[in-house]
Amino acid sequence: MPASSSLASGLAASFAAACDASGALLAEPYRIAGEPVSLRFATAALRDRLTAAFSHLRADPAGEEPALTINLWDSASTGCAPPPHPAVPEGGAQGALYHFSEPPLRGVYQPGFESLSVLDGEARTAWHWVGSAFELAYWDQACPIRQLLFWWLGSRGLLQVHGASVGTASGGVLVVGKGGSGKSTVALSSLGSGLLYAGDDYVAVGLEPAPRIESLYSSGKLEPDHVQTLLPHLLPLLDNADRLASEKAVLYVQEHFPEQTTAGFPLRAVLVPRVAASRPESRIVEASRAAAFAALAPSTILQLHTADAGAFQTMSRLIERVPCYGLELGSEVGAIPDTIAEFLAGLPPA
Amino acid sequence: MKNWQPQGDEGVNTRFRVNSPRVMHERIEGEIIVIDLATGSYYSLRESAAAIWTELERGAGEDEIVAALERTYEATPEELGSSVRALVEELSAEGLIEPAGENGASAADPAPPAESGRRRAFGAPVLEKHTDMQDLILLDPVHEVDARGWPHPAPAGADGA
Repeated sequence: MPASSSLASGLAASFAAACDASGALLAEPYRIAGEPVSLRFATAALRDRLTAAFSHLRADPAGEEPALTINLWDSASTGCAPPPHPAVPEGGAQGALYHFSEPPLRGVYQPGFESLSVLDGEARTAWHWVGSAFELAYWDQACPIRQLLFWWLGSRGLLQVHGASVGTASGGVLVVGKGGSGKSTVALSSLGSGLLYAGDDYVAVGLEPAPRIESLYSSGKLEPDHVQTLLPHLLPLLDNADRLASEKAVLYVQEHFPEQTTAGFPLRAVLVPRVAASRPESRIVEASRAAAFAALAPSTILQLHTADAGAFQTMSRLIERVPCYGLELGSEVGAIPDTIAEFLAGLPPA
Repeated sequence: MKNWQPQGDEGVNTRFRVNSPRVMHERIEGEIIVIDLATGSYYSLRESAAAIWTELERGAGEDEIVAALERTYEATPEELGSSVRALVEELSAEGLIEPAGENGASAADPAPPAESGRRRAFGAPVLEKHTDMQDLILLDPVHEVDARGWPHPAPAGADGA
């Protein structure tokens, strides 16, 4: 038996044992990037922690054949042993990530976070195991199964990028830049405005037949002091208000602003934010495509860890296809959505 | 630098290649953006630096690079040669390029036609380096697992298996 088949069967057996132990198989239908995706959990403990971010993409159980079935379980809530995983040396960095790509399988294992993700592209099946549903990092709850979605989206011609996105049903913007550049501030400032919220950290982009944003997560994350000083009206809505000493502030948009979440919209422009707090107003300014690419590509590649040169080239094509601007962020954060809405309204029809 | 010395009668013609797949690069509106996956550093090369990178990527040696630059910039061959050597040393030191080796050292394709119009003033090439995302690599280093690692399960009794 090929090693890859052995791994797949081992994962399937481990998930089946976890379901047997819990006496449950909790299957939930979602529609991600327009495709039916089934998330199957062995326990409610893990389901409840991983599905809040996808709640805006919940689909009706219409009996559609899933384009992807993801099996998710943990050892703590099921009492089951971990699934097969690679032997790794001790003493590495906590975030050390072991990656393999052996078609049709692709996987990552992070021993420091007790996290294992494997995608079988041929079988349209994926497995995601974590050590404990009760000890998930806040970012893994806000943006779950990022690697699996990145690979699966890639197989469907979509690219998961590091960026925020807001807009209207007729079109929106992709806000790009490294962590701390203002992406989340822009996205979360839109809550309560007339803009739709597609994400603050990771969204998917499709280029054919026309550039489009596909929302992945309805979560938002921001440094706690930024919430307190810039967006204090969001404080009562935080999901982790009791843990802000050690975590970024997290809120789930679908829970509080369900009318503002979206599955996606046409992509009309790329914006590179820059803080310009000496002025109250925000404004759209010119920016070179090279500056937009430098803001988008390195952070996407380095955040996603397993991205390759193809992803780099796709982002180059994206920057060529979509107009790029700077977004100077003034001190009146509440006025940012109006600046973006006026900008979008002023664009020529797509 | 050791790898950029005259080689017998062939002149200064060591050829280089981009250190792929560790290094990715794209040209956007004349600017070259380079990312080094091993270090998390990324780089920007504009104007003469972008021109030199483009020639290096084509497989050109120093003589050919200088000849190409002469068609675009107002500068002496000595000035251009010195600038090319300095940038090549810097790119090599950063691990972004490496000698192509004998098997990989093929003559570059003919350079594109000379630009029409007047030559431009020459500015020394600059390799602009950004290290603000290195933490992403240092905190979450990526290890590609070979055939002896994954997908073969850990041996029975291995820690955590």
